[in-house]
Parts: sequence; structure tokens; C-alpha cells
Amino acid sequence: MEYYHIPSSVEETLSIADNYSGNYTYFAGGTDIQIYRKQKLDTHDHIIDLSRLDELKSITVNKDHLHLGAMTTLDDIISSDIINSNYPLISEAAKSVATPVIRKTATIGGNLLVNNRCIFYNQSKEWRDSIGSCLKDKGDICQVTGGNKSCYARNVSDTATALVALESEIIFLTPSGSIQKPLTELYLPCGIKSNELDEHSILTGITIPIKAEKWWYRKLRLRKTLDFTSLTVAATVDSDRIARICLNGVSMSPVLIKEALKSLTLESLIKQARKNCKTVENDLMPLKYRREMINVYLKECWETLH
Amino acid sequence: MKSKITKLSINGFEHIVLVNPDETLVFTLRERLNFTGTKKCCDEGTCGSCTILVDGIPVLGCLTPTVRCVGKTIITIEGISSKEDLHPVQKYLVKNGGLQCGFCTPGVVMTAIPFLDEHPNANREKIKEGLSGNLCRCTGYKKIIDAVENAGKELKV
Repeated sequence: MEYYHIPSSVEETLSIADNYSGNYTYFAGGTDIQIYRKQKLDTHDHIIDLSRLDELKSITVNKDHLHLGAMTTLDDIISSDIINSNYPLISEAAKSVATPVIRKTATIGGNLLVNNRCIFYNQSKEWRDSIGSCLKDKGDICQVTGGNKSCYARNVSDTATALVALESEIIFLTPSGSIQKPLTELYLPCGIKSNELDEHSILTGITIPIKAEKWWYRKLRLRKTLDFTSLTVAATVDSDRIARICLNGVSMSPVLIKEALKSLTLESLIKQARKNCKTVENDLMPLKYRREMINVYLKECWETLH
Repeated sequence: MKSKITKLSINGFEHIVLVNPDETLVFTLRERLNFTGTKKCCDEGTCGSCTILVDGIPVLGCLTPTVRCVGKTIITIEGISSKEDLHPVQKYLVKNGGLQCGFCTPGVVMTAIPFLDEHPNANREKIKEGLSGNLCRCTGYKKIIDAVENAGKELKV
């Protein structure tokens, strides 16, 4: 089909992508990006459907590492015994995404690269036209902050929160070869372009090196199901007693606080979190409440980690 | 965007239909093939009304591109049972009063059937979680959960 491409290998995907120089959208599960297309937020002419890339659908354990193919569905992750017994945090995070039916289609790679969200951006075209475009759309000012020149759309990936707290690395394929780097380096502190994957590269997998000795995960949202996060906190302590606490949904990229547990105090943890989170009034939950909940969650998390 | 002739296998029959690459499965089924049993409600993956089985896996018709389903087996609510012989999930939804306006019901049935296949021993809590993506504004959910629970018991026997 001329506008809808279904490649069967990663190399074929990259060559199709190369032909259309940025005028395409990747569909992994497509459960989120489909809505962007309906709302005319994504208007690329070509769709590259990755659903037949079976080589990227795998859960394997090599030595001490867990490897997840980027096209592994969230449901596969939840029902995997290896993950449930060794990496329950990942399974818990995947379980908190969307609904059971959506999780059968949605993929881990898609969730990691989910678009940043804002209540002034994720709306129908008519809604956006009536209020005037924002920076992330086609406008020139931020509607949330009333004229600011930078975008504060929130990163809402729940699995990213857990995987950052587990110090995961991502593997992506570029025309010059495969590159592996820490997941934290993928995200940019910008609401408009939230990750630095360019049009010539494709995320192929995630490698998780550490097993957490203790972990904690909580997601704040309006309903117990379906909703995108208003605040997600994932925390781990490894065998060297290093704490990694990751907050998401409150800033343009996941916020990681990493420190030895013995030198970290609750006060300094809250202070660092509040300092690094760029929270603005861009969610259905009020800003004051979300800020307060950062303290509440970090206190609860602190009690578990200690 | 140019339309393309596409072959789809729906409820055991082959259908040849002209579809747009941007088209979703629920649109093709309802507007082009007249399978109006599948309901289109929120059209953004929120309500679960358009749940369809593709290769036995429940998917949301409003989020699934039609062309992705080429070569796969599609089952809609029309393919679940005949008029005389209802599936246990349908039977108990009727018996337990699990529907009023009936708009969410095709979605509930199409979610509950693969759910019970996968979790034959599901308890009430698990059923609630499994159906958490299906919105119903009439019944208050209790009777739907009752129906699925009873259907589960019957299917196990």
C-alpha cells in the first residue's frame, strides 16, 4: 500500500523511513498515535506500521541482564514469569498503563517514546483552533503559562519511570550501526521534542542491568484505570545500597535522583525533587495538589526504602 | 490518500473492500461492511465499546488500522453466536440484567470472552480489573460483573 507500509524487518523499516525524509509516523502498537492522527496533531503522509517486526518481540535473560525487544507488548511483560519474579517493578509499571485490552496492543517501545502531553495540546482540532495554537502545536506562545516561550508538556511514560529507576539502557539502530546508551540520555528537557531519536534511527530494545533489592512504585491519576499519569514515582535500592528515585508526569522528562541511601535524607530528597520538577498547571489535577502529592509519595517511598 | 482494495476475513467469510490507509477497523466494519453490532462510541480508546477479536486477541476497533488486519482472522460480535444459541457470557448478561441501553454490551462481551479463556479461574476482583476498560453508564457494573462471573462458572464445567 502506498501510504501504509508494513515492513517485516528492521533494515527494511529504516530504508522505507529513509525514502520519506521525516514525512512519516511510526506505528508500534498505535494505541496513542492513532488519537494524534484523529485530532490532526500528527499529519505525516506516511505510516510505517512496525507490528510485523517479530524480531523485536522478545523477553530474554543474558547473564545478569534482562533484554526486552521494543515491540514486546505490555501484556506480554505483565504475563512473563521471568519479569514477575525478578523485575516486579517493570511488571507493576506496565500494569498501570491504560486498560487490559489496550495493553495487548501497546508496546514497551511505544510507551517509552510516548509524546509529551498537555491539557492545551491534547485536544480536538476544533478545541485548539478556538483557543489559539500553543508552542507545541503551531502557535508561538505557551497557553499554560500565558505567554512563556518554552513548552512544559509532561512526559507521561510510566514504564520509563520504572526503567530509569532500574538504570536501564536502550539500544537503537542507526544506518551506521547499533548504539547502546542509558535511557536517561534519551529524554530531552523539552516539551516539544521529548526525545533525541532522530528520523534515521529506530529503538530496538531495552537492557535492564540491575535487580532491585527493594522497590516502590505508585501512580497518581484520576481513575484507577486508563488515565495518563499525573505523577508517577518509581524507586529502587540495589545491593550496593544506592537509591534511585524517579519521578515522572511532573516535568518534561523523567527526573532521577540517585544517591547512596546512607547519605540521603527525606528532606534532601523532597528538596531535590521539588527543585528538578518543572510543574505547571497543565494537568486535570490541580497544580497545588500534584505538588503536595510529590511530598506524600516521597514520604511513603522513603518508609519502604529504609 | 489513495484507497486500496483489501481482503478481510470477518467471522469466517472473506470480504473484499476499498479502504483508506488511515481508516480504523470500526469504521470499515460499520460504514463499509454494515457490521453495526460493533459500536463506535468515544472513538479514542476510552470506552471499550468497539472491542473486536483479531486473531483471538481483543483489540479496540477505533485504534486499529484496518490494513493491519489483512491476513488475520477478525471476529465481531455478530460472529460470537447465533440467535438461538447465545454464548454463556451473553446468556448471563441477559439473565442477570447486565445491560440496559445495550450500547456497551458488544464491547463487554468481546472483552469478557477472551478474558475468561485466559483466566478461567478469575475471581471477582480479577474480573473487575479485566473489564476496567469498558465503560457502562447504565448498570453500575455490578450486574455485568455478576454475569461474567456466572458465565465463567458455566464455562469451567
